[in-house]
Amino acid sequence: MKFLAPTTLGEALGMLSDGGDDLRVLAGGTDVMVQRMTGQLPRSESLLYIGGIDNLSGVSRHDGVIRIGALTTHRDLRRHPVITTHLPSFAEAAATVGGWQTQAVGTIGGNLCNASPAADLAPPVLAADAAFVVSGKSGSARIPAHRFFVDRRRTALLPGQILLGIECPAPPAATWESYLKVGRRSAMEVALVGLAARFSVERSRVETARLALCSVAPTPRRLAHAEAALVGSALDDEAVTVAERRSMDEVDPIDDQRATASYRRMLVRRLIRKAARHSLEIR
Amino acid sequence: MIHTLTIEVNGVSRTAEVRWDEVLLDTLRDRLYLTGAKRGCDEGECGACTVLVDGAPVHSCIFPAMAAAGAEVRTVEGLAGEDGELSDLQRAFVDAAAVQCGFCTPGFLMTLTALLESREPASDREVDEAVAGNICRCTGYSAIRAAVRSVVRGSET
Repeated sequence: MKFLAPTTLGEALGMLSDGGDDLRVLAGGTDVMVQRMTGQLPRSESLLYIGGIDNLSGVSRHDGVIRIGALTTHRDLRRHPVITTHLPSFAEAAATVGGWQTQAVGTIGGNLCNASPAADLAPPVLAADAAFVVSGKSGSARIPAHRFFVDRRRTALLPGQILLGIECPAPPAATWESYLKVGRRSAMEVALVGLAARFSVERSRVETARLALCSVAPTPRRLAHAEAALVGSALDDEAVTVAERRSMDEVDPIDDQRATASYRRMLVRRLIRKAARHSLEIR
Repeated sequence: MIHTLTIEVNGVSRTAEVRWDEVLLDTLRDRLYLTGAKRGCDEGECGACTVLVDGAPVHSCIFPAMAAAGAEVRTVEGLAGEDGELSDLQRAFVDAAAVQCGFCTPGFLMTLTALLESREPASDREVDEAVAGNICRCTGYSAIRAAVRSVVRGSET
């Protein structure tokens, strides 16, 4: 058992294919280290620390595509001008993850690969139609966001693959998006429900709608039928009511120590209505 | 497996033999005998173990020691001058009685040192947000805020 600290991606991928199942990829450690201590991850796994690899962090915008490196921290996300301008829901979500100490080292790649049902960055990524760029010894691949989360704490990453980052098409100009989260308090809280909403508007009508949620099912998910109820509408009460009703067939929350399933279902309806109202107030 | 770790702690290069998956708090407390950082919740929630790694506050109880290789680490022991003179923030904590049981104090001091060195907090809200990851179970938050306010005021005059 050892601590491996490669400095290049090639080195890391080589170690990962040699080390097999006994190797855990480690970035900021804010999930992995806690899960090792609490027995959710075996302590017999060696650690492959990728924090020393160059070029896996940072945000850029080029040819209508916004790239976010897997090692970009929550603190960087919430302050980067490309993010706050074009993908504000990412900045809002990152700002709700733990406190400064967590945001300073916790990464977007770690938040997504940990694949908690409550992962705060997952709804914005789903709403942005992002692609996950992954790399393994046999080459790179792109996984659409809606196929990345396979089950609770399980992703579409294959053994030997590392997430390099995500790529999002830059949203059209008349787009509103936000991340709305409910917890029992406003700081250091796991989402009871989190909603990333995005509406692109053309002549006062919604052209595309995205409603992506966490903490409502084993995986973060988009609500395609509720979204469809809003397309073509002016986010009027009638359309929102239909979206709310449809959303109830698209979520499957559980009772746990934080909230009951029925409370979470009520939050889903309230957050959809709140998102619609907020987007109208801005315009 | 035992690894050799070299880090700069409070301006001095230190080398220690560490367990491969050991956390930075263990290295600081048990190998370098810097016991200012405290073990509270031991799961990255309470902030009593906060130290600065390359200027950023981290929960050292969940921060892998080996991930700090080559980094500059600052602990509460490094805040006072060599002559023992307290930093402005430490002095303000004393003057404002921002210490009750004292267990959370090193963590608050480190997070707030990082805040004051990065930018001047414009409001109590900014201070509150910066220390969201630090918990004072004596609930002495208003005195802590007052201490920060007095440092900001002092730097203006």
